[in-house]
Amino acid sequence: MSSLALDSSPPRTRRRFTGWFSYLALSPSLVVLAIFFALPMGIMIGMSFADPQTLSPTLDNYHRFLTDGLSLAGFCRTAIMSLLVAVCVTALGYPVAYFLARSRTRWRAVVFALALSPELAGVVLRTYGWLIILEDRGFINDVLLYLGLIASPLPLSKNLFAVVVGLTHVVLPFGILSLMTSIQGIDPNLERAAQMLGASRLSVIRFIVLPLSVPGIVSSMLIAFTMAASAYATPALLGGAGFKVLATMIYEQVLFYINWPFASVMAISLLVMMLAISFAGVRYESRRRLRTAGAKGDN
Amino acid sequence: MTRVISILFWLSLAAVLAFITLPLLVVVAASFSPTATVTFQPFEWTFRWYGDLLSNRWLDPFLTSLKIATVVAATSGVLGLLAAYCIVYERLPGSDVLMSYLLSPLSVPQIVKGVAIVLFLSMIGFQGFLGTPALIAAHVVLALPFVTRMVATSLANFDANLDRAAQILGAGKLQRIRHVLLPMIKPGVLSGVTFAFIISFNNIPLSVFLVRPGDSTLPITVINYLEYSLDPVMAAVNVASMAFILVVIFLFEKIGGFSAQIHGGSK
Repeated sequence: MSSLALDSSPPRTRRRFTGWFSYLALSPSLVVLAIFFALPMGIMIGMSFADPQTLSPTLDNYHRFLTDGLSLAGFCRTAIMSLLVAVCVTALGYPVAYFLARSRTRWRAVVFALALSPELAGVVLRTYGWLIILEDRGFINDVLLYLGLIASPLPLSKNLFAVVVGLTHVVLPFGILSLMTSIQGIDPNLERAAQMLGASRLSVIRFIVLPLSVPGIVSSMLIAFTMAASAYATPALLGGAGFKVLATMIYEQVLFYINWPFASVMAISLLVMMLAISFAGVRYESRRRLRTAGAKGDN
Repeated sequence: MTRVISILFWLSLAAVLAFITLPLLVVVAASFSPTATVTFQPFEWTFRWYGDLLSNRWLDPFLTSLKIATVVAATSGVLGLLAAYCIVYERLPGSDVLMSYLLSPLSVPQIVKGVAIVLFLSMIGFQGFLGTPALIAAHVVLALPFVTRMVATSLANFDANLDRAAQILGAGKLQRIRHVLLPMIKPGVLSGVTFAFIISFNNIPLSVFLVRPGDSTLPITVINYLEYSLDPVMAAVNVASMAFILVVIFLFEKIGGFSAQIHGGSK
């Protein structure tokens, strides 16, 4: 964010007036975030160390999280699901992103609108669509039964498969955007040069485009992972009781078991997962910057 | 060989686009179908479900969502504009720290923010605050960082020479803000406000903790209903709410929103 502050340099006059006025104008935002974000987060972290009955300080909640089996399993399920979503989003998004980055025809606008339109529809509508398609008496089972390919409905909903399909659909537009930006940054002359030197279409993709778009692939996977891990509505509706993730387990702890300390521990575990992934992303990005800066320095 | 690869490429592109549009088409089809199951066999078209939308059951949550989203968009728009102005334009001492504080809620998942807020409210004995007031507060916390970032970006793109020129020509500070700065960053502010409206209107992960029976938002009413029924009226609700969002975007766009920004309104 520091780059934002560098670009504009307005004239400096009457500093004394703008000084106190600025702090006054800034204070509502700071206060709102302090009361409804910073303070609640602090209380939640404190609560995670409190005994559910007596509220006296204890580490039991963390101990329970690590040893009761269910919680840690939910944590791993969330991570595996998010990883699968990240892979699917990147794999499905890549051809679309490549087309959007390279096409000069009027189809580009059509594909762009089609690819991003789901974002306007909201998560509930799309999840509802997948429910209709995947449920036991849904669209796919209906077609397969009619054609006589299966004798009884396939279990397509209330499991990992359904949640990954639904979340991939929710996250895909973001993956496409980040891959597209990255592919647009690759000089098309490199591809032309390789083709002129006799490389096939496949080896151009394999040896030129893919390696150069690795940063885009990484950022699309990071976005997809973090969005999937923190999603609530899609796992709740498409996974249900058959496939619980941290987000739905946290909801249960708060509204059914009313166990604040344990809900706090679960929320913190989700937060830690997200921060670890974001940290890995930031580290990757800074190392890449260093490498490319070094490579340029050599010339 | 090249031909095969290019055919494969087009096929995969078409498959992905079909995957993207399929659930939307299915929901639109379901909203006109007499039963909840969507079959590929022809069915009688019906507008019955859209008629059902005008009952209080769906109108009340819609009006609640509309009220909350309007207040959230206005509040976070004003706060975000002021905050970004002070940090980026006036460059207060410690602006980097202030900016990362203002953007910090972005790195916390919504469901975690939701737990923290509802825990906080019950700790201080403000359960009566649940429902609309708590939803507004939580959605402002959610939307404010986005708005601040969008306004900050358009302020950073603002050409300070325009401001200097106005100053040389004798414009006072307030005149420069009113006639130079604000018109230039208007697209950024409007897209921030639109975005705030949409994320509030569609929000689930925060709202799910903060609603109260009888004082619930539209998306929460819908998912609570969906847990036990796939009634086609849900399809009509969803299609209508998407149409509403499109109208909102169109209106803001008319006032001079995003396309002005895309086509070089500020640069």
